[in-house]
Amino acid sequence: MIDFLSLIAGVLLVLMLMAVATKGWMGSRQLPDPVPGSSEGEPTEPCPKEFVSRVFSRGDWEFVHGLKSRGMERLFEHERKKVALVWVRQTSALVRNAIREHARAARQSKNLDFLGEISILAQFLILILSCRVLSIAIHIAGPVRLSGLAQFAQRLSQQVDRLQESLHGGVLAGASGTRAT
Amino acid sequence: MDTPDKAVTVERAYDDLLRRSLSHISGDLARLIYLASTRDYNTGKYHHDGLAAHFQTEIACQALELAHRKTFYRVAGRSLEELVGELDLYVNSSRQNRDDVLQVWQKLEPYRVALPVNVDVVAAQLFVSNIKLALAILRQRLARELTAQAS
Repeated sequence: MIDFLSLIAGVLLVLMLMAVATKGWMGSRQLPDPVPGSSEGEPTEPCPKEFVSRVFSRGDWEFVHGLKSRGMERLFEHERKKVALVWVRQTSALVRNAIREHARAARQSKNLDFLGEISILAQFLILILSCRVLSIAIHIAGPVRLSGLAQFAQRLSQQVDRLQESLHGGVLAGASGTRAT
Repeated sequence: MDTPDKAVTVERAYDDLLRRSLSHISGDLARLIYLASTRDYNTGKYHHDGLAAHFQTEIACQALELAHRKTFYRVAGRSLEELVGELDLYVNSSRQNRDDVLQVWQKLEPYRVALPVNVDVVAAQLFVSNIKLALAILRQRLARELTAQAS
């Protein structure tokens, strides 16, 4: 019995180490130089939709492809990947902010709806997982090569919008009247 | 918080800026560079003598900032092909040797200073990234033109 528990603990430890290593590896790759002037710190609102479409648009890729220069194509892929990863990180940070805000409101709530909380937690997890999947897809294939990636990104963006709207509307945590102002 | 009167005055100053100054500059990229140049590097405040003479200094500053942000988002949202056209127009209007301007822009990256303060990080990154690409495309195009002329 003790051996079995040790095995489980060992497997869990290895999985945790792998997760930490993967996160570090993903974070260290292709981090663009900070752009002066851009808003620093925690993002408070999502990127305007037209820019999300532009980042994942095939139009720019087709223009570059039409130039018939492999070097230019490589430069485009490199540059567009950097921008797409900045967007994923921004979106992921927005979701994490929403989680923190919700947790704060939930701690002060006196009448928590357990099923509602489970549903919200599931939404958060799906969004975080979607960001991870998108990040891996961008690393592997680039933002414009995969034909469903743009729609996936748009959907993700809309889901984060909805999450933020419901948070601002005080829907989460049954918070009306109990949330801190 | 701005009073409605002040907001109206800023709008009027903004319209005045569009009509008297910006309409004489061809291309949004050139307008963006011009607007960024009206900002003091040390204070981040914008200044325009003519506008400040018609309106108050603070109103002129806000109108310039508004124009800068609007122009930036317009340029950042352009397709790569459109941005190449904008950059080409800007380089051609500079009276300097085209290749020299393109080289200096690639080395010094002066377009990074053209960003307004606190713009969306993705829009800012997209703008910087697209300008880098547009510069590379224009230099390649220029090199091909020169090769074609030589042969």
